[in-house]
Amino acid sequence: MLQAATHNSDLPTLDSDFDVELRKVFKVFNGETAVRGVEFNIRRGEFFSILGPSGCGKTTTLRLVAGFETPSAGEVLIRGKSMTHVPPHRRPANTVFQNYALFDHMTVWNNIAFGLRIKRLGRSEVQQRVDEVLQLVKMETFANRYPKQLSGGQRQRVALARALVNRPAVLLLDEPLGALDLKLRKQMQVELSNLHQNLGLTFVMVTHDQEEALSLSDRIAVMKDGKIEQVGTPNEIYERPRTPFVADFIGDTNLFEGHLESTDGSSLLVRTHSGLKIVVSRTPEWSDRTHQTIVSVRPEKIHLHCAPPETSHNTFEGRLKHAMYLGTHVHCVVELVSGEMLTVRQATHLETLPEDGSPLYLSWSPSDCIALAARST
Amino acid sequence: MPSTRLSFSGGHSTRRQFLKASAAAASGLALSSCGWTLANVRTNVRTASDVLYIYTWAGYTDRELIDQFYKETQIRVIADVFSSNEEMLAKVQAGAGGAYSVIYPSDYMVRRQIDLNMLMELDKSRLPGLDRLFPKFRDPSYDRDNRYSVPLSWGTTGLIYNRKALNPPPTDWQYLWDYQQQLTKRLTLLNDQREVFGAVLRSLGYSYNSTNPDEIRAAYEKLVRLKPAIAAFNSDAWRTQILTGDLKIAMCYSSDANEITPENTDLAYVHPESGSSIWTDALVIPRTAPNIEGAYAWLEFMLRPEVAARICERLSFATPNATAFELLPREVQTNTTLFPPESAIEKSESLEPIPPDVGEIYNRYWTKLTSG
Amino acid sequence: MSVSPPPFSSTSDLTPDATKPRWGTRWLGPLVLLGPAGLWLLLLLVLPTLVIFQLSLVPNIRPGDIVNPSGIDNYLLVFNPTNFRVIVRSLGLAVGTTLLCLGLGFPVAYWIAVLAPKRWRNLLLLGFILPLWTSSLLRTYAWITILRPTGVLNSILSTIGLPTLEILNRTPAVLVGMSYSFLPYMVLILYSSLEKLDRALLEASADLGATPPQTFWKITVPQALPGIAAGSLLVFITSLGDFIDPELLGGASSMTVARLIYNQFLGQTQNWGFGSALSVVLIFAVSLSIALLLKYGDSSATQR
Repeated sequence: MLQAATHNSDLPTLDSDFDVELRKVFKVFNGETAVRGVEFNIRRGEFFSILGPSGCGKTTTLRLVAGFETPSAGEVLIRGKSMTHVPPHRRPANTVFQNYALFDHMTVWNNIAFGLRIKRLGRSEVQQRVDEVLQLVKMETFANRYPKQLSGGQRQRVALARALVNRPAVLLLDEPLGALDLKLRKQMQVELSNLHQNLGLTFVMVTHDQEEALSLSDRIAVMKDGKIEQVGTPNEIYERPRTPFVADFIGDTNLFEGHLESTDGSSLLVRTHSGLKIVVSRTPEWSDRTHQTIVSVRPEKIHLHCAPPETSHNTFEGRLKHAMYLGTHVHCVVELVSGEMLTVRQATHLETLPEDGSPLYLSWSPSDCIALAARST
Repeated sequence: MPSTRLSFSGGHSTRRQFLKASAAAASGLALSSCGWTLANVRTNVRTASDVLYIYTWAGYTDRELIDQFYKETQIRVIADVFSSNEEMLAKVQAGAGGAYSVIYPSDYMVRRQIDLNMLMELDKSRLPGLDRLFPKFRDPSYDRDNRYSVPLSWGTTGLIYNRKALNPPPTDWQYLWDYQQQLTKRLTLLNDQREVFGAVLRSLGYSYNSTNPDEIRAAYEKLVRLKPAIAAFNSDAWRTQILTGDLKIAMCYSSDANEITPENTDLAYVHPESGSSIWTDALVIPRTAPNIEGAYAWLEFMLRPEVAARICERLSFATPNATAFELLPREVQTNTTLFPPESAIEKSESLEPIPPDVGEIYNRYWTKLTSG
Repeated sequence: MSVSPPPFSSTSDLTPDATKPRWGTRWLGPLVLLGPAGLWLLLLLVLPTLVIFQLSLVPNIRPGDIVNPSGIDNYLLVFNPTNFRVIVRSLGLAVGTTLLCLGLGFPVAYWIAVLAPKRWRNLLLLGFILPLWTSSLLRTYAWITILRPTGVLNSILSTIGLPTLEILNRTPAVLVGMSYSFLPYMVLILYSSLEKLDRALLEASADLGATPPQTFWKITVPQALPGIAAGSLLVFITSLGDFIDPELLGGASSMTVARLIYNQFLGQTQNWGFGSALSVVLIFAVSLSIALLLKYGDSSATQR
């Protein structure tokens, strides 16, 4: 965990450990519920991401924090203070907008100084803070340019600087890297991460890019249809998804629908609809009341064998449909005898790739798969 | 500097020469070595002989008149209207008047058009009705012996006022100054610099057509004193305003006054004692007339006593036709708005063309007056 | 991160001649596209303007006189006190009308473009420009009916016990009439400019601590500046040329440049040379204001 907020905020520190708290927040637009009872707490100095497919309500959630939307029900708190009646211009949060929303009639310098001038800070202080933040985002030489004269990455930096110069309690980032090309995005991810570490500021980022969320965040909230599916560290989200949606949305996975056949202290036996029997290690989250279940196995956890392996659990016979060589690994599609198609990711230690159509054996450890309660959603 | 002169005099100007003039304009600008003129272009528009285009004032013809003429001659009359003599002249000079076979200029404009050689000398043998005019209209000052024009109507300029609003009633122009306080913003004058200046000149005892700069300045200074009381200079808009009571008094033409006094019996027209202008609207045939036969037919028709009397009644302007006058009902004959007594007209003059440099003086004072 | 600006492309300079279209064909396209409008402009705008300019150099010219440019007397006449006062008065009226239209039009355009529900926008705009479908003369007469001493306005005022107003035949009536005539143009132009306003900029401004009024002055207005400039210019120029409204509503002191020019051509003493000189001065003044506006009016517009 990162250190607590040590940055020089203009705000008095309050008692709450959390910089942002959402309590059963709902937002309804013209009869359409965009956000349904979202609840989470963001710790001081945390890099928190809200991840989900488009239309899941993640941006609305961020806008509720920024104050551009008011909750239909529930409450948003920043630093322990209710924000219900606080308009955006008085909230201790600043936003980096999706398309940067730079003021194109002002120079970079004036864009950044905007917030400070509104606060009527002294001339020298404005100068000093703007210069400081320009240096922070390495844009010193562009101070007198207009936004239209900058590249996408440069505009991104200006947008960051414009928000950071105000030393907010919370920095809100709405798909900050969405408009950049892949290479630039990777580069900016590193810079964002460094910035976060150096400033110790609370970052709340909205993204649909799971890789971005996994690599940058301390914790991630996965949203779907206006609800939070799971909040957890990247590792938890990936390794121990709570719902089939999270398992499927984060990374690749193979899902088997089935029902619980038997259980003992440490493992569960699941029979899939096609008749396979899968042994799954029991996790603390497992509820014995669950009957209908979905088993998730990550492609990289599956082992391929040319001959029947010695392990007894979770060994299945199939045939290679298709193999794709991808340098660091081989991506295989295997059709089981029972009919399921599985994707398997195999490190490229095989000297020769098996030919398409050749028989194969698959196996995985019970601790490498996870059984999730099947929900109607 | 060699100059080519394209004149509107004579009938030799054609479309082709207009193009030449345009070319001359362009080359004149390029070379600055040859001048050109503001020529009015004669366009000989060919129209069928059964159609007659006339260019007249609003309210000078009506359906009945045109229908009757059509019944008798099978010529269809199409009337376009202008709102001032100057507008008519400019349009005709600019070459847009080629379709008209009969035009209705006022006295001074007849003179001007004669001077500009725009009018056709009339063949009196074809206009037997001319000798039915009152003697003074047979030899008007603007067109001696009616060589180019046939008088159609006449009238005076005076004041229309609301009897209930003004006590004592006005009798002369001077009334406006004497009772200025009562009249503040309840008074309009004609939007015509010659008429307005003429009235003031007359009230000072000078001629309506003064060309003496000192007299004109005196008139201007007198007008400036009246200015705060003047609501507006307009020649038309006063009608509704005086009917609704927004105005107490307005300078107007007798024919207009005669038209609206029946609508409100409180309204009365007075011909100022110190004199005013007498105007005559005439019929002329331009040299460019495409339908000369039709034009003569129209003139002859309009000179007929029965027709003249009917339009005098219907369109409410005074007829210069003595025989027609006899045909009028008694109450029209004694209508002093239309036919002021000879004694009242004695001191009145008709507007005469004035030299351009004097016009310039009037113009300057008018601009000064109306720019506040 | 070092972002180097892309080097200026010099490929066109290096293109071998063989690939260039031949001279004739290269000019054919623009000629065909611009020819008709160009000819139109030449015949109906450039040529007449040149004629007017030449006329303006002939003192005391009247129809029938030889056009023989001989001096700038007409221009000296333009700047004599009487005429100059008319020009200044007209400019004042035009500026007043422009400011009124801006003041009245901006809130309306802002409301329609930013605040009103999207599905109502077209209808609202339509409603606003509906008056344009009637003749301008008719609208002016309607104002006379409203403003005259015993008119609609004063009837209402006296009914509710307020003192009546003498507006007709005074300058305020002219401003009312003219701004009513030109308001729809201003609203249309401002609307099209405000409609393009990125709402995210307003949110960004609020996010950075600006109150709504601060956001309005620091973001909305600068962003709408090209529209404000275009709308103001249009209203200014049209009201400078308007003489119907001053004539019918302005009372005894209704002389404007447009009317003065009219008088020189259609008035009792014709002086086409002086009229032309007045026109040239007016054309020059308007062109100059457009040029200044383009150059300095909106420096950021050049960045767009």
